[in-house]
Amino acid sequence: MQINCEETGGVSIFRMEGDIDINTSPDIKKSFDKIVNDKKDKIVINLKGVNYVDSSGLATLVEILKNLRAYGGKLKLSNLSSKVRGLFEITKLDKLFDIVDEEADAVSSF
Amino acid sequence: MTMKTKIANDSHVLKEVSKVLIDDLKAMEVEEDIIFDVYVGFEEALRNAMVHGNKSDPDKEVTVETAIEGNKVTIIVEDEGEGFDPESLPDPTLEENLLKESGRGVYLIKHLMDEVSYQNGGRRVVMVKYLDRKHL
Repeated sequence: MQINCEETGGVSIFRMEGDIDINTSPDIKKSFDKIVNDKKDKIVINLKGVNYVDSSGLATLVEILKNLRAYGGKLKLSNLSSKVRGLFEITKLDKLFDIVDEEADAVSSF
Repeated sequence: MTMKTKIANDSHVLKEVSKVLIDDLKAMEVEEDIIFDVYVGFEEALRNAMVHGNKSDPDKEVTVETAIEGNKVTIIVEDEGEGFDPESLPDPTLEENLLKESGRGVYLIKHLMDEVSYQNGGRRVVMVKYLDRKHL
């Protein structure tokens, strides 16, 4: 799993590459600790490079969302592949997360 | 093609085991969407066995059987834990459960595989996926 982080116009963008699963979830959680500690409130996670998210990965994203919401932070997910989006739809997490097609649209929608 | 093996209770082994089956399905030119469903279902079953069944105990093992016969693949995963009642799990898609961080693995298996049954007190899951669209 590779995570590239960039901040632009007050929006923190995380671009992920690899699987979000039981083995990578602990590192992903760590990557967001600083964001939560600094109370960054506009976050985009770009999942373009992610081909697979297991239930541990879904749980990790839910945990990140909950941690951000605790102080009023907002999270948007962008660039989901059709397969990953399908997993969000089956689990109805597409109702919980704000899912946007493209990263640029997610950034401008705050 | 059949395989039966016992694997260490280590989540890092999980991908090596699923890769063997997925490579066989790719070689058979099974449709990509069906392979993805098998991949997710298989890994969720392995993860459930290791984490929830065997409670991440490194001294325990997981028994795995796979068989590709005709137009279907059968996957059996069995842990050495205390078992569970899959019917007792809350529906993770209900609004009040969406923010919960667990309970989606069994649900994904149920929805991605064509036939799922739990045996031996929930320690053993038997999953079937048909490899052509005619059976969907």
